[in-house]
Amino acid sequence: MAAVRRNKRVAAAQPGFLPFKSSLDDNSSSKRRKRVNKNKKKSWNKFSDIQDVEEFLDDVRLQERATGGLISEKADDSLFFVDTGETDVKDTQAQKTVKKGKPSKPLRIDLILQPDSHIPAPKNVLAFQQPNAKKQRRTSARAAKLAAMGVLPRREKLLQLRSAAAASGVSAKEHPEANNNPERAFYDLWSAGTPETADPYYLEQTKKKLVKRPDRLNEKPSVLPAIEVIAPGGSYNPDFFSHQDLLREAHEVEVKKQKAEEKLARQLAVNEEKATEETIFKEQVQGLIEEEETEPQEPEGDTEDTVMGPTATQEKKTERQRKKEKAERIKDLRRKVERQMIDKQQQLFQLRSISASVKNLEQRTKMRQAQRKAQQEAQKSMPRRLGRLKFQTPDLDVQLSDELASSLRSLKPEGSILKDRFKSLQKRNIIEPRERAKFNRKYKLKYSEKRAFREIE
Amino acid sequence: MGGLQKKKYESGSATNYISRNKARKKLSLSLADFRRLCILKGIYPHEPKHKKKVNKGSTAPRTFYLLKDIRFLLHEPIVGKFREYKIFVRKLRKAYGKAEWSGVQRMKENKPAYKLDHIVKERYPTFIDAVRDVDDALSMCFLFSTFARTGKCHVQTIQLCRRLSIEWMNYIIASRSLRKVFLSIKGIYYQAEVLGQTITWIIPYQFAHDHPTDVDYRVMATFTELYTTLLGFVNFRLYQTLNLVYPPKLDGQGEFSLKSEFEEDYALESESYTEKLSALSASLARTVPSVEEEEAQLDHFPAEGEDLEKMEARERTELEQNKQKKLFEGLKFFLNREVPRESLAFVIRCFGGQVSWDKSLCIGSTYDETDETITHHIVDRPTIDKQYINRYYIQPQWVYDCVNGKILLPVEEYFLGVTLPPHLSPFVEESEGDYVPPEKLKLLALQRGQKPQAEEEEDEEEEEEEDDEEEDDQSEDEDEAEDEANLAEMEEKRAQGKSLSVKVTPGKVKPENRMRTEQEEKAEEKRLAIMMMKKREKYLYDKIMFGKKRHVREANKLAAKRKAHDDANKADKKKKKKKC
Repeated sequence: MAAVRRNKRVAAAQPGFLPFKSSLDDNSSSKRRKRVNKNKKKSWNKFSDIQDVEEFLDDVRLQERATGGLISEKADDSLFFVDTGETDVKDTQAQKTVKKGKPSKPLRIDLILQPDSHIPAPKNVLAFQQPNAKKQRRTSARAAKLAAMGVLPRREKLLQLRSAAAASGVSAKEHPEANNNPERAFYDLWSAGTPETADPYYLEQTKKKLVKRPDRLNEKPSVLPAIEVIAPGGSYNPDFFSHQDLLREAHEVEVKKQKAEEKLARQLAVNEEKATEETIFKEQVQGLIEEEETEPQEPEGDTEDTVMGPTATQEKKTERQRKKEKAERIKDLRRKVERQMIDKQQQLFQLRSISASVKNLEQRTKMRQAQRKAQQEAQKSMPRRLGRLKFQTPDLDVQLSDELASSLRSLKPEGSILKDRFKSLQKRNIIEPRERAKFNRKYKLKYSEKRAFREIE
Repeated sequence: MGGLQKKKYESGSATNYISRNKARKKLSLSLADFRRLCILKGIYPHEPKHKKKVNKGSTAPRTFYLLKDIRFLLHEPIVGKFREYKIFVRKLRKAYGKAEWSGVQRMKENKPAYKLDHIVKERYPTFIDAVRDVDDALSMCFLFSTFARTGKCHVQTIQLCRRLSIEWMNYIIASRSLRKVFLSIKGIYYQAEVLGQTITWIIPYQFAHDHPTDVDYRVMATFTELYTTLLGFVNFRLYQTLNLVYPPKLDGQGEFSLKSEFEEDYALESESYTEKLSALSASLARTVPSVEEEEAQLDHFPAEGEDLEKMEARERTELEQNKQKKLFEGLKFFLNREVPRESLAFVIRCFGGQVSWDKSLCIGSTYDETDETITHHIVDRPTIDKQYINRYYIQPQWVYDCVNGKILLPVEEYFLGVTLPPHLSPFVEESEGDYVPPEKLKLLALQRGQKPQAEEEEDEEEEEEEDDEEEDDQSEDEDEAEDEANLAEMEEKRAQGKSLSVKVTPGKVKPENRMRTEQEEKAEEKRLAIMMMKKREKYLYDKIMFGKKRHVREANKLAAKRKAHDDANKADKKKKKKKC
């Protein structure tokens, strides 16, 4: 566009340029120039006079519209003709012949609507252009390249899979399989796969490899076995004595429990004296009978003195007293030091008893060490305190002698294995003991009879 | 003194631990999800040594985790899946609320799921680790497989557990690795030796369920989720070690023999195969045709002293085990309908016996009751109408006792209507000087190959008892005398265990008895050694010996008590008989 405009301007600047309109004469020179600052772009825009350029350009456009080009560039033949005075007979005749046919003349309205410009309308570029053509071209090129290599896009792949599955009659597995699907397949999990050659740090960072499990986590929190076999007395047809043993054990547990319960009851019992006849009578006659004065005589003395704190009645010491005290102090100290010296010397003769006591001490520490170690070992098999609740040992499963079944058929199983397993997990410190959450109703229930029900009544 | 002032609870144990709630927030999971994650990953709560320090001065009881453990959990990809599932549930609920049924359908199809394979691999880096820990998994799977399909847990889980437990039982049968069985009042304990690992599990009796309320089913279901995955992979590998096809297939012969005309009556078309597998009555197909009984000979190395002894002992146990594995081989069992079919079939098949049952009882019966070659018919009712003469009618306990005793016990004590001998626990290992019940003693004697003569005599006597009473008294006296003698013998045996009571009698020299002299020499040596002891050691030694003696004394007391009890019982019986 810019190039075209330049061309035009160049043409106009040429001496042979013919303006179309005659009004393009120079009449602006008579106007007075305005004085404005030229150091601002704004003022350039506002006050520079471009009227002449505008007019010239308008003229150019008009020429192009009306004649299809600049007049100055046109050949003379197209602008002028030689007037020889001949009338064009042929033309008039031809027109007459055309007139005979009715629809030959276009309607005026159509003529009005015809473009009167000689410049063809610009093409609609967007009609021929594709948006994102470049990008699409690139992607298609890449797809073609991949296809040549044999890599299909995901959608295509899925489509192929689906069609193949439909052809074979098996539904393609697009969804992940549930973990508890009874038909799920297993494989060799521990087979030695291809060893990883890449940098382990890289693999970990890109989540291709899981973080290594610390060894500490593979230790079990308790040394107890997973399955604790019931005592021999728990057989369905037990030996008499082992059964008695088991019963005794259960009995002891029960007794202990009962004792604890009783103790609690005793502690919680309200120590209230019930009113007997005697006490009621006493209450009624209180104050009516003159009682003997049995009040103990209070010792009469200065009680106030004892209540009072030590009085500051110390008088000031004299210089002599001070000196005397100091001398005493020094003497005391000296005596003590001497005594210590003597004691130390005497210890030489007590060597045997000292060594004995040292031995004793050592023995005691050793014993305590052993004890502590044993305790720690025992702790390993004990349930730990892992939460709000302590582990409660479940009741021993026993059957009394008269409950024992005479045959396998009539055996009535005791206890629940589910509960047993649950407790075992708690006992082994794998889960913390919990209790079922209590249900708290937020709002009170309100009962009302339905109308239909009421009607029946 | 320069430096910053140290603040409380900013170092040491306070920073090593994290409370459960904080950990939960750190992972941004709900409590249920957090608990599930911990179970799956094997992260256990920890009891700190100094609770008050860890709890920042408060003494409220809390659950603590090690901070490092929680940091480790942060890397787990399953955490993301949990969150995804949460979102899924929310969306689904919303779609339900808006009654967008197509949306509900679509969402249900795209339900997020997760795999536990990598966790199993992580927790059990080698196969043998997994086998070592399979006890829990087995018990849980067997337990869940017996659950009723009532909505306490997913039906699919129950089915999977059932499948895995059947696979396991089939493996144990194929490898013949069962060692001990114990019928307890709770359930049946089994012990097997798989790849050198002793594995114990418990199976509940059938139909023995009441659902306890104080058990957290969600927690148990989570454990089962992990354990089913573990057991599946373990099963796969175990089947591989035996060259069995996985998933298990009946071999051609078995399949043919199990084919019956009215299969539809037992199970649906889709289920009949698994039902046949669960019948446990046919062997499994192998990828490599099995070579008939090739027994690997133990390698012999020159060894001396203790090693030699150890090796001999090992060889002996090996031999014993091989014998035990073929315990029921050649025997043909028939199960009456009132006995626990699955357990018995499992045990019998584990030791090479053939087993069948009534056709109407369960799928997979291989022969009829009328089969003439049946050797043992297992019945658990006082009498049976139609009896075949060429087979034993015994009570089910016989099978279990035989397995525990490692020999075929005499069947007389297990006939119909006979009071059974007690079922002893095979899990008790008596140490020296313990009280051993007489039944066990008898069993040990049988194992050694001795005939239980006294017992037989007794039986005969009891039969005679009815004939005449005079003889009875005499025989009873004899009986008592015999018993006393036995008791004395027993005590003597025990006394041999301890060294103090061995006396050297002077003057009676028996030059031809070399054993005796050897013993005496040994005893003498021991006595001298005792004499040479330091005072303190002597004191300790005396203490130990006193403890042993006391132990023996108690055991003797128990034995005497038992005898008295038996006598009383016998007297009672006699009285009853007389009355009759």
